[in-house]
Amino acid sequence: MTDQLGALTTIFTEFYYWVTVVLMFLIHVGFCMYEVGASRYKHHQHTLMKNTMLIPLVTVTWFLFGWWIYWAFPTGPGIAPSIMTESTGLVLGGGFGGNDLANPTNALMAINLNDHIMGVFWAAFLLFSWTAASIVSGAVIERITTFAFGVLAIAIGSVFWSIDASWGWHFDGWMLKILGYHDAYASGVIHAIAGGFALGVLMVLGPRIGKFASNGEPRNIGPRNPWLVTIGLFLIYTGFWGFYAACNVPIYDLGPEYGMEGVTFWTATNIYLTPTTLSGITMNFLMSLSGGLLAGYVIAKGDPFWTYSSGLAGIICASAGNDLYHPIQALIIGMIGVVISYKLHYWVERKFKIDDAVGAVAVHGYAGFIGLVICGFVLNGYPASGYSVGAMWDGSTYATINPLGQFLGAIIMFLVLGLIPGYIIAKILNGMGKLRIPREVEIAGLDYETMESAKEDEKAVSSATR
Amino acid sequence: MATVTNWIDHLNKPAEEVAGSVYPGAGSSEFILVLLLIVVWIGWSVITDKSEREELERLSRKRHGANDHKSNITDW
Repeated sequence: MTDQLGALTTIFTEFYYWVTVVLMFLIHVGFCMYEVGASRYKHHQHTLMKNTMLIPLVTVTWFLFGWWIYWAFPTGPGIAPSIMTESTGLVLGGGFGGNDLANPTNALMAINLNDHIMGVFWAAFLLFSWTAASIVSGAVIERITTFAFGVLAIAIGSVFWSIDASWGWHFDGWMLKILGYHDAYASGVIHAIAGGFALGVLMVLGPRIGKFASNGEPRNIGPRNPWLVTIGLFLIYTGFWGFYAACNVPIYDLGPEYGMEGVTFWTATNIYLTPTTLSGITMNFLMSLSGGLLAGYVIAKGDPFWTYSSGLAGIICASAGNDLYHPIQALIIGMIGVVISYKLHYWVERKFKIDDAVGAVAVHGYAGFIGLVICGFVLNGYPASGYSVGAMWDGSTYATINPLGQFLGAIIMFLVLGLIPGYIIAKILNGMGKLRIPREVEIAGLDYETMESAKEDEKAVSSATR
Repeated sequence: MATVTNWIDHLNKPAEEVAGSVYPGAGSSEFILVLLLIVVWIGWSVITDKSEREELERLSRKRHGANDHKSNITDW
């Protein structure tokens, strides 16, 4: 930072990402409130602690290897050639990809007077990781052990989402080059993968006691505290503003970046370094939220739990292409995603006896999947990257966005990196007897001992007069 | 341990020569710190797994009914 304008740009970017991190923290606050509101009284405190402890667990492992994975594997490895070469001037630092940057022993992974971006960028991605793990957390409440959830949270938060971000989000990602994959605000790289992962875990974990009648009919276990659910979801909406902003690069001169001599074009870009505006995506965010709420209210017949969740599902469904959609397109896509996700949730619940306590698989997994597929049709022909555009499967250039590439991308996110790893890890934990709490504890309530040990004090306090 | 003992000397160099890392032990302690973090992480996981298992076993032995917890709710 040797001149004032350069310093201003750098410090603005640093502050911009810092603000997104603070806003995204509200997503986790919201998830905690939402889960506690959805759980029954006798499980409240354990439900809260389970979701809270993913914060340090994912943070520590994100520092150790999650961030490194993101930088290490954009090309597969070996699936597509890297553009991070000396001839393109994009060498970021040693090893394959730019992984040396994210080595936990690297001097950049600490306060560094010559770098103002790494820490806030690391933190923004970490908050995405918490979200991925928190999505899984809601689906499995009231019957999973905290230990098993910790393992699963690390797997989705610091390994599998990091791989998918490397493949489908990194500017050098092989999915962009070969499939023309486009997912500007993470319909797939966060939501479809986390929803798929949750479904894989639920297939092994099984339903809560009493969820299904002896004839197989599902019973509704509604939220126990509608106010917590309401505030929780509003906080998640609020945090999503930060999420959207964090997926952008706030200020960038694309002329030199694209190798256009003498051209200066300052703009915000999406994560793929193609131009968009914070202003435009704000409209799309609100319109897709509205589409989700409108459709959810109708299809759920005014049920507040599903209506709020549908607002979120609407945003998630439109997120893949919200950097380019018209606001009305975003609204319609949000509506379509909600209707399909809602129907699919109840069909899967009834058919396969899957007990998704908060509808996380539907809101995040199905809506994310559908959003990717729709994006392939609506944005068909747009460049997936600002760098050289070429044919699909070429691998050395970037394919354009297309329906087949988006569909394959959705399969990779939901199934290959989501459902299958979730299922396998849950199977292993189950085989070790560590996945599910004992039946007697589930009946008594996870908080039984906590409440019992405080009973005498509580009695004395409740009858005290001085 | 101090990486910087005089800020004026440190920042008075040409920009490209100012060392960015200013934390204690810069350049010599990173590997040990990472090792320490791994020990903390693994150690915490082992300890909490053990205590959770003990709690769940203790509670499951008592075989409480589905509504027994209500007698523990005292603050009306």
